Amino acid sequence: MGFAPMLARAGWRSAARTRASSFRGGTWILFWVAVFGLLVLPIALFLLVAFSPALFEQGPSWLTLEAFKSLLTPTFLPSVMDTLAVGVGAGALATVVGGAVAWAVQRTDVPLRPLWSGAMFTLLLAPSYLVALGWERLLEPNGVLDVLGVPDAGLRSIIYGPIGVTGVLAVKGLPFAYLAVSGALRGLGDEFTAAARVHGGGPWTATRITGALLAPAVWSSFAIVFAESISDFGVAATLANDAKFPVATYTLYNAVQAFPVDFPVAAAVGWVLLAMAGLAVFAQNRALKGRSYRVLGGRSRRVRRVELGRWRRPAVASLLALLVIASLGVPVFGALSASVISGLGSLIGSHGFTLDNYSRVIASPQLHGPLLFSVGMGAATATAVVTLGLVAARLLTGSAGNFSRRLLDLLLLTAVALPGIVFAAGYIFTYNLPLTDALGLHLYGTPTLLLLAYIATALPSTTRLLVGTVGQVQHSLPQAARVHGQGPLGAWISSELPLIARPLISAWLLTFGGTLLELPVSELLYPPGQPPVAVGITKALSNYDFGGGTAMEVLAILLALAVTGLLWGLWALFAPAGWRRLGATS
Amino acid sequence: MSGHPIVATGLGKRYGKVEALSGIDLDVAAGEFLVLLGPSGSGKSTLLRAIAGVERPDSGRLQLAGATVDDERTHVPSERRDLGMVFQDYALWPHLTVEKNVAFALRRRRLTGAEASGRTREALETVGLAELAHRYPSDLSGGQQQRVALARAIVSRPGLLLFDEPLSNLDADLRERLRVEIAAVTRLCGATAVYITHDQSEAFALADRIGVLEKGRLVQLDRPEEVYRQPASPFVARFTGTAGELPGRVLDPGGHHVVLDVAGARLRARALGMLRAGDAATVLVRPDAATLTPVFDRADMPAVVTDVAYRGRGYEHAVRTEAGILTGLHASTRFERGTTLGLRLSPDGCHAHPVTERGIKSDDMNVTTVSFEPRSEALPQGRRPAL
Repeated sequence: MGFAPMLARAGWRSAARTRASSFRGGTWILFWVAVFGLLVLPIALFLLVAFSPALFEQGPSWLTLEAFKSLLTPTFLPSVMDTLAVGVGAGALATVVGGAVAWAVQRTDVPLRPLWSGAMFTLLLAPSYLVALGWERLLEPNGVLDVLGVPDAGLRSIIYGPIGVTGVLAVKGLPFAYLAVSGALRGLGDEFTAAARVHGGGPWTATRITGALLAPAVWSSFAIVFAESISDFGVAATLANDAKFPVATYTLYNAVQAFPVDFPVAAAVGWVLLAMAGLAVFAQNRALKGRSYRVLGGRSRRVRRVELGRWRRPAVASLLALLVIASLGVPVFGALSASVISGLGSLIGSHGFTLDNYSRVIASPQLHGPLLFSVGMGAATATAVVTLGLVAARLLTGSAGNFSRRLLDLLLLTAVALPGIVFAAGYIFTYNLPLTDALGLHLYGTPTLLLLAYIATALPSTTRLLVGTVGQVQHSLPQAARVHGQGPLGAWISSELPLIARPLISAWLLTFGGTLLELPVSELLYPPGQPPVAVGITKALSNYDFGGGTAMEVLAILLALAVTGLLWGLWALFAPAGWRRLGATS
Repeated sequence: MSGHPIVATGLGKRYGKVEALSGIDLDVAAGEFLVLLGPSGSGKSTLLRAIAGVERPDSGRLQLAGATVDDERTHVPSERRDLGMVFQDYALWPHLTVEKNVAFALRRRRLTGAEASGRTREALETVGLAELAHRYPSDLSGGQQQRVALARAIVSRPGLLLFDEPLSNLDADLRERLRVEIAAVTRLCGATAVYITHDQSEAFALADRIGVLEKGRLVQLDRPEEVYRQPASPFVARFTGTAGELPGRVLDPGGHHVVLDVAGARLRARALGMLRAGDAATVLVRPDAATLTPVFDRADMPAVVTDVAYRGRGYEHAVRTEAGILTGLHASTRFERGTTLGLRLSPDGCHAHPVTERGIKSDDMNVTTVSFEPRSEALPQGRRPAL
């Protein structure tokens, strides 16, 4: 094509550009409206009610600390203190155990290493209430162990209590600790140990030096597990609740769910949870202040693995196996066995092997309805979140809009630390306000509000995930496509999409799986008569339909695995060879 | 295909408070090879990206092939500018094979499949990579990747080729070989070329004309020989290679050359700026202006050898004089450290510019200023172009 005719149309193109930029401006406005409507407004209004109930017709005072004072009363104080203790305990336990697993997998010749690291990733995806429910099914009165005639050796009273709650939360925190510490261990080349040894330090000094270099990872791990544990709702609603061990998230849930609804107290609990998470991050910063730990570099050498020797090798492997059995094996066994035993949880009748529970779930709309509803919600949420997250990630990694970039970064970081139950309470509160009603937003009790809340809870973490990927794409690649003849959309599709396609699918699947089994938002916001699967499971269990509940649980997980397998299968069959090469391990 | 002429008038670009480009006037003839030379932050990348259409200038006008592609109202996007570009980081798409990377640039030409694959093969043969057509970029070495980028830039026979420091990521030997290839291939396809680099030897070797940029301004635009022999400012002189700087005082400003007293020796030099008798001045010395001789008389400046390095074609010496240190002085014989020699300086390779109490005075107020430090032992080592 000649150049002159192309340039002759420059005037037309300049008009097109004006249209394009106003379209882009419009897109950004829409994006910010979505971010504010989804993330900022519901939470901000909800948190505000703790200080000013009168502003929202929730009490007589315009400015008061009454809600916070009431948290100091014997009704609420134990739950706050329990939460703090459980958070510290789970953080410390997960960091020690997760760090040890990381060391064994990254630094020793322990056998079956892919299995141990794979177990950590599986655990990352398992909702905490499923882990807790697995233990409950085994240990509850007339549970699987009772039915099988196995004595629990006092385990029941330990698990149903602070130790059990802390333990399950620590198990849920293991993957975070494992990832944080193993990332640091991978970057820590042999030369740091060697430098200590050649300059006269013994093995112990060398280990101490390596240990000190791991400090940021250890603190990060503790802070993350602490924050995750205090904001957890899955264990709070199941094991902790059944053990009559009150924690803050369940107190918040009760304040919003019970009659009369007490939004100011719920908001005050929200503030306490936020403050605790903030405190953890602050402590982490404080502990690391002024120290530089830049150990990652292109020059680090590969690390030599510690040879454990003839006896220690099987011993370490056995310990790891024990850990995987306790953290993953028990819940899986608990759920699987409970779903195939007839009449579990009841004193009457015989207990035998059966697949009735599954056929009941598949046949009864009451049981399979939640499953299908959640699949639809999960797919819609994942699609919306990946789309919005991609836009957000581009804004965060782009060169333009310094202020809006920082604002979005701060918002998303804060939102990641925000417990799901606070999100859900914020949505209930905001969409029940007379003002939203007057504005014509009749969303409360509709699937739309549930979808919006799902999107809001998943968006921050998915965006963080995508920022890493999008940020890795060299700016010059789409530029090269433009320079060599492609328009903006063509350049994106031909040069950027192939590079991020695999992470986009991963992000979609993670969001889908997370939403499918999500509990706190589902519990508070599900539309009447349309419970999502997590609510369906807990409802069935609370109705003593252990078989039906666990069968639903197993089917939901199988469904998530099936969708994952399906998508990756399609990818393997239909994605171009060049796309599949990227990010594949050789 | 003949190349597109480029005309820039008053081109400007700001990033917040930073003025990346300011009042750039440029006129590049069709088929000319222009090298933009400057240190990092001088605006050369911004100018290149403005020509590519990746950045939009804030002010001024840019014309390609006689048509306006940038002014206040117009911005023709990159894909409509009929150009090819070689990026500093190659910017090869990792999901496409070598062949597909190259063929990508042909999409706009709407050729038949046979034509397109013929052209792609031809471009790959030109850069000697026809056998690697089915490999992926990650399977290639850095030099091979850069050749693929070159093939992609030329395959559609664009009127304009842009090079964004294409050799900066390669080792010295490969750099030299690819430089020769780029020169040959570009001239073969007849396109106008704009090439940016901060390496003056690369610039001198490639350019029909060199544009030197400093702080967003084009401070000199001339043939390489003129830029070297008659730098427009001390900045240009420094950036295109000096052996060192000697402080002195003007004795006689008149005539073709100015006469200076440098540490008791009389030195003749070209004047850079207004010089009057009695003015303090600094003499910038080109490495090839100096001759070292073991037998010397009163006309020569005494110099003690402080370092010597073998360079294949001869020896490079660093010497200390009464006035300061000079480095990179070539001699065919080796003079040992500590030897006192005579230093003879050719007037055409010496550039004197005025110094005030505060620093260098210059016609161009934007040039870099340095403090006037007589007898400094720590003058920076000069850049030595491979001329």
